[in-house]
Amino acid sequence: MTAVGIVWGWVVPYLPASVIVAVTVLFAWLVSLVVGRLLRRSSPRMVGAGRRLGAVVVGLIGGTLALQALGVNPDIVLIVIVLLGATILLALREPLGNYGARYFSDLYTPFKVGDTIQVQGYTGKVIEINAMTTVLLSDRYQLISVPNAAMIRDVVVNVSPQAWKEVTIPVTIGGNVDLPTFESDLLKSLSKLRTRLDPRFPPVLSTNARSAQSTDLILTLMLRRPEDREAITADVNQRVTEVLDRARGARR
Amino acid sequence: MAPLSICINTQTPLVQFLRPDAVRRRNGTPVELSALADGVDYRYSPGGVTRMVYPLVRRLLAENVLSEAHWVALNPHAPPTVRAGGMTLHNVTIEGDRMGGYGKVKEAIWGRVHEIDGKDPHDDLFWSEAFSEYAYYNRRTAELIRELDAQHDFDAFYIHDFQQMPVGQMLATLKPKIFRWHIPFDAAVLPPPWRSVLTGYLDSYDVLVVSAARYAASLAELGTKGKVIRLYPYVDPDDYTQPTRAEAAARCQEWGIEPGDDVALLVGRMDPIKGQDVAIAAFAEVAPRYPRLKLVLVGNGSFSGSSEGLGLSKSAAWRSHLEETVGRAGLTGRVVFTGHLAQHDLDCLYARCRFTVLPSVREGFGLVAVESWLHHRPTIVTERAGIAELIRDGTNGLLFDPEVPGELARKMELLLNDRSGALRARLVRNGRETSKICSLDAAETAEREMLIALAEA
Repeated sequence: MTAVGIVWGWVVPYLPASVIVAVTVLFAWLVSLVVGRLLRRSSPRMVGAGRRLGAVVVGLIGGTLALQALGVNPDIVLIVIVLLGATILLALREPLGNYGARYFSDLYTPFKVGDTIQVQGYTGKVIEINAMTTVLLSDRYQLISVPNAAMIRDVVVNVSPQAWKEVTIPVTIGGNVDLPTFESDLLKSLSKLRTRLDPRFPPVLSTNARSAQSTDLILTLMLRRPEDREAITADVNQRVTEVLDRARGARR
Repeated sequence: MAPLSICINTQTPLVQFLRPDAVRRRNGTPVELSALADGVDYRYSPGGVTRMVYPLVRRLLAENVLSEAHWVALNPHAPPTVRAGGMTLHNVTIEGDRMGGYGKVKEAIWGRVHEIDGKDPHDDLFWSEAFSEYAYYNRRTAELIRELDAQHDFDAFYIHDFQQMPVGQMLATLKPKIFRWHIPFDAAVLPPPWRSVLTGYLDSYDVLVVSAARYAASLAELGTKGKVIRLYPYVDPDDYTQPTRAEAAARCQEWGIEPGDDVALLVGRMDPIKGQDVAIAAFAEVAPRYPRLKLVLVGNGSFSGSSEGLGLSKSAAWRSHLEETVGRAGLTGRVVFTGHLAQHDLDCLYARCRFTVLPSVREGFGLVAVESWLHHRPTIVTERAGIAELIRDGTNGLLFDPEVPGELARKMELLLNDRSGALRARLVRNGRETSKICSLDAAETAEREMLIALAEA
């Protein structure tokens, strides 16, 4: 038997699984793109999470099919994944709930560090939002720790002056996106909304956290009229996503 | 207290490179300034900011108040890193197509603050496309400073002048940040939509340093949160030479100043805010009565206007306008334009002049008055300059109100008619005393105390 024949004989059994993996990668990319388009007017962080989730689901299905093509019983793999997931969820229900609430409160709850809020009968200035709790400082210098889950479940009143004007949008950019260029392009795009925003407060992009992989930013805008809040938030989300897409395209 | 490590940020760099291709960084190593020739490969940037900051940093390094100093500036025609006299200079470059927008915003702020750009109030400045380029430059600078901080763990950041205002907000650090505002500050002249923007930027600093008490009061009126300190600008008296009378006379003859001529001297870059037109108008009033009097205008474009700098020239147009004005007034030959001069040549003119004039429309401070005192020459200063708060009219200088027609000409005549020399002697004697307030020694004490207090806090 020739060397080519030996190699071919070794490759053939894995060929169907390899094709499935290649198609899965392509399909995951397509799903991520479609999800990104569907969520265009949502928060850029939500868009990112949706795209990742779509890709992971496709990856799981594709992986299962690839295992089946290799002759491995996928039922066992699926049972292990489900049991492991259920165990983790049960064991970490409380902290995961708070962590998830922190993630979503970042996106959907209109307060930030420095604001004064009322929640569950407590009033105080927000001095810290960590993974589990939101820490308030009361007028009597008491520290009040409120589980983040309460911020999603209960009524939160932001009593800071002019809080209604402020829209904050968390944005995460990859470590290899050029921040000065991204900011410049974003400001250019947002300048088109100037008639809808308070002329005294142009958009401000501030850095929140940084790692080698990514930079967490906060985009702050001030509305001119409260009833524009939803429409402007959606429009700004779309603009941020477009600028991010362009930045990623430029990088590629 | 252990010596401090600081990062300084200015728009104008300490040095400009005259032959950028000849000094490209090799093998990723910083260029050593000492290996290059002053005047051939590079020159020190003109202007008050670098003139002040460099001697101070040099002194603080020598006195061991600072352990290291890194200086970040905009310098498109320079190698990325340069070692100079114990300091490391880091040069920021931005693309040429972004320079126009950046220049537009900084000129608009400059014009508004100096009240020379009345036609367009620039209410929408911070929403303009040009502003995105201004933000780009500042973010590029802040990112470089952040990277340097990760390497050197600075104790404090010292940011200079309005061009760099957003850097403090962009530097997400808990370490002390000082901002020195070098130009005039009058909240009343700011367009209402600017006030909250400027307040946002200025509030990101722990300390705001201004050059005059009235600017500090105006900042308080704006409602800034940071501590405001008034520190007078300064010069290093050792930087000046005292040429002999013969040397000065010989050098001045090259500009057409004859031995029997009287000289009124104005030192300032070619810029409408420097008020050369005001001086020419006053000179035109007195010139017929003093046929041997000449007005000498020293200065060229700024770093922004020069080809070695940002190439945003406005000086050439202003000089043409002034030359036309001189021609129309029939004063050709009696108003001398020397352009930029090396320090010793300038010292020759100081030594040769009868008095100096500072007629700026608005002036953050006006160090040329201090230079005048150091050269034993009386000075006539506009009330619109920051240094005016140090001058008592008729005691250590002469003040004039630019709103009063003929006032500058009248003050010029006071000195031209001072036959006994008593007025001149008094102004010079007291002026020399005042100059000590604006000396490097005084500044060193004040700046050291501020830095240490901030770092210890």
